[in-house]
Amino acid sequence: MNQKQPEEKPDGNFFHRLDKSAILTVVGIILLFSGSVIVTLIAPRYVDPTWTSPSSSYQVQMYEVSDPNLYISSASGHSSTLQFVYHIKENFTLLLFQESEYSRIVAPDHLKKYITAYNEPVLTLTSKLLLLRSPEKSDHFDAIAAAGQLRTSIVNEWEKNHPKWKEEGTSKPNIQIMELYEPDSHDAFALALTDGMIENWVDHDFRILDETPMQNYHKDSGVIYVRNPSEFRITNIKTGNVNDWVYDPKGEAIQGLDALKSHPAGFHSRAELIAAGEHIYAIEGCWYCHTDQTRTLVQDVMLNGSDSHPAPPSTASEYIYQKITFPGTRRIGPDLSRVGVKRSSRDWHKTHFQFPQTASKGSIMPAFRHFFDDDPRGTSKNTEGIPNYQFEAIFQYLMTKGTRITPPTQAWWLGKDPVGTKEIIEGRGHLNP
Amino acid sequence: MEQTNLAYDDRPVKFMLYPAILFMVFGMTVGVFLAFNTFLFPDYFSGEYVHFGRVRPTHVGSVTLLWLLSADIGLLYYFVPRLCGIPVWSSKLAFVSIGLWWFSLALGVLSYPWGTNFGWEYAELPNWVAYIPVKYITTIAWVLLAANLFMTIANRKHEKMYVSLWYTMGTLIWTTFTFITGSYAVNWVPEGISRVNVSFFYVHNLVGLIFTPMGLATAYYFLPKLANTPIYSHRLSMIGFWSVAFVYAWVGAHHIMHGPMSQWLQTTAVVFSIWLFIPVWTVVYNIFATLQGHWKSYIQSAPIRFLIMGNIFYLITCIQGPLMALRNINEITSKTDWVIGHSHISLYGTFTFFAIAGIYQAIPVITQKPLWSQRLADWHFNLNLLGSIPFLLALWLGGFWQGMLWATWANGTSFAEFHNNLTLLPFLQTITEMHYFWMLRGIGGVIILFANVLFAINIFNTVVLDPVSETKKKETPEITVVA
Repeated sequence: MNQKQPEEKPDGNFFHRLDKSAILTVVGIILLFSGSVIVTLIAPRYVDPTWTSPSSSYQVQMYEVSDPNLYISSASGHSSTLQFVYHIKENFTLLLFQESEYSRIVAPDHLKKYITAYNEPVLTLTSKLLLLRSPEKSDHFDAIAAAGQLRTSIVNEWEKNHPKWKEEGTSKPNIQIMELYEPDSHDAFALALTDGMIENWVDHDFRILDETPMQNYHKDSGVIYVRNPSEFRITNIKTGNVNDWVYDPKGEAIQGLDALKSHPAGFHSRAELIAAGEHIYAIEGCWYCHTDQTRTLVQDVMLNGSDSHPAPPSTASEYIYQKITFPGTRRIGPDLSRVGVKRSSRDWHKTHFQFPQTASKGSIMPAFRHFFDDDPRGTSKNTEGIPNYQFEAIFQYLMTKGTRITPPTQAWWLGKDPVGTKEIIEGRGHLNP
Repeated sequence: MEQTNLAYDDRPVKFMLYPAILFMVFGMTVGVFLAFNTFLFPDYFSGEYVHFGRVRPTHVGSVTLLWLLSADIGLLYYFVPRLCGIPVWSSKLAFVSIGLWWFSLALGVLSYPWGTNFGWEYAELPNWVAYIPVKYITTIAWVLLAANLFMTIANRKHEKMYVSLWYTMGTLIWTTFTFITGSYAVNWVPEGISRVNVSFFYVHNLVGLIFTPMGLATAYYFLPKLANTPIYSHRLSMIGFWSVAFVYAWVGAHHIMHGPMSQWLQTTAVVFSIWLFIPVWTVVYNIFATLQGHWKSYIQSAPIRFLIMGNIFYLITCIQGPLMALRNINEITSKTDWVIGHSHISLYGTFTFFAIAGIYQAIPVITQKPLWSQRLADWHFNLNLLGSIPFLLALWLGGFWQGMLWATWANGTSFAEFHNNLTLLPFLQTITEMHYFWMLRGIGGVIILFANVLFAINIFNTVVLDPVSETKKKETPEITVVA
């Protein structure tokens, strides 16, 4: 092939044939490159603990304790409201049974210690598996009778305190009485009042009535708990040809996780939805237009703040539970790092994902109609579709942003930001190094 | 026809360059589509598979990987053997790696609208598309290419290594590590900012340690060839090379200035970013100085104009880059269209221009015919320049303007004042303000697209037709005689 005289080539292996300058090049490149890699990529997380440590034990418990055990589905079939169900486990989930002025709890003697009475300042928690139900009569304890007695005594007491209640035109209080009982199983699916976004949290005046701490997180200075759970029961129904279900306190209990997650109930844990939401955020390319970082700039803490408080700047700790983090390089839409606080309404997001220009005038965001299904029965009067799992996933993912930095009792949107963002931007304070 | 050409196997060059040119036109078409369908007529074509978030990575992947990186690889197959004085080590190996390269990369990049995005910037290539492990195949293809070129260099006849070979060896090593870092190692470190840091390390080094050395290798090889003059200073190019090697890998964190990144790491990135002036100015000066005394060739040759214009853009991009890393300038420019302008002037204005110049020089050699039309090449350059000016200015000015608008929220000294600023100028208002800049950008984009369609036509005709000039010379007299 080559018409020139072949030159003498030194024999030997690859490295013998490379001359000095080539070897110098390769070695030099590798040395310089690895030096910078060590300092800029490997060292930082050992030098700066915030890269791997959580922002608060609330954050840890939200991601590790609450998310995997809170299950979400449409309330029944294709309804667009949500049903939340807690998977509570013995020796794991902390429960609170708390009375209020007009709702009381009756229990057999050995369970009475688990009740936090009305006006009692110290909350009594337990990881023993207990539930509330409408009073029933059993062999050991006649809850119906106990409830009747309790109601009578409360009403009598109330009449004593309000002797002129008839003249004042008020009516007797409607006292709701539940029975605390011990189910046979080691776990249960339970209903409890929740917004599905921020969990009950207590960090002072509480005690856990376990002989020894059952879980490591039970030793934390604050804990997430489930308040007044009652068993989640359903009745299967048929709407047309579609298998459906409704919540029914007298219906059947759910037989295990598989039943909860499979058709027609179709529940997903919040952890699963958040993970799916993160995936959707990646593949839909949300991150090309939305940043996910409140920078240490006045404009950023203001843009993401509320009417009364600036948002704290993002810290590395906020991101440690994300498989992919999207700090972003371009802000064509607003920053999303505090969206769980700024826009927490599910209805707003429903409208916005379908009709961005309607919800935000002047927006250039594309519509995400594939996050919604058509109304199966066609009876819905509004033009909005029924949100499908893609919407629920992206919504749950977005709602993690800004809501988990500190416990709700020290929330920045209440002005309790420990960083002191407001002081700093007004020039009265300094960021701690 | 040079006699020495017969010694080289240029089929790998062709197999890389021809598809790359088509993908450039494709990628730019997608870019123009986005400029209109997202920014000027938002969501006109609406739906799951055509909205901005799903199509943008297809534009970026097409122009960066399917066009620029692939074209640069084609040019490596061209000049590495020529600088070594031997044909490429193994043509068969080259065919295998090129086949794997196109198959996996094209499949990966074109699959983004169907929801395969990996989720990290510039590293969107998915591990799997259906049952095809595209990312692994791409990696293998690259390693085969690197092995092939290293063996070519190891077996070379010309003892002295020209600077382009140094840059090539740098590219082959850096790209391997950078690609593995961004595409695989990002998942080997703890979740959160560690991954972000690795990702931005990759994002910066994709440009700094892949496209820069490849582009400079191209420029250093083709400018002396085109202008028929030796490089001004071999030593200066060496200084440039080693400062690239020293500086680039440190600056990744400047992509997240003011963000949730350790302050000392941000500061480190700022310092090294400023040092980037060293490699840049050596390159820029060296290229200008090479053409000293030969400026007439600038007038005569479109590829030289591309190289020199690319060099000017390189100077601009590399003045911008370090300055954008400064905390106060970053506060204004970051997260705005300025950044998009900066990425376009470097990957389009500089390195695409360099690659085009290289192709103009290489195509006549590998096809052994002169270029089909010099006039079309002149038009190609003129329109590219004409389009890039409104395009880039719109992005810079618009971006800077938007950054200044955001900064008005920080006017004052109290929360009440800040809040009042934000009430007077809501975020969405700052989007509306961009409309005319986006219009200008769209117009520029259309001109650029048109220019490069002419380029594709010119190259296509060069390959398949007889040269225009020769046809005319032959035919015109004959017709006269008949008449």
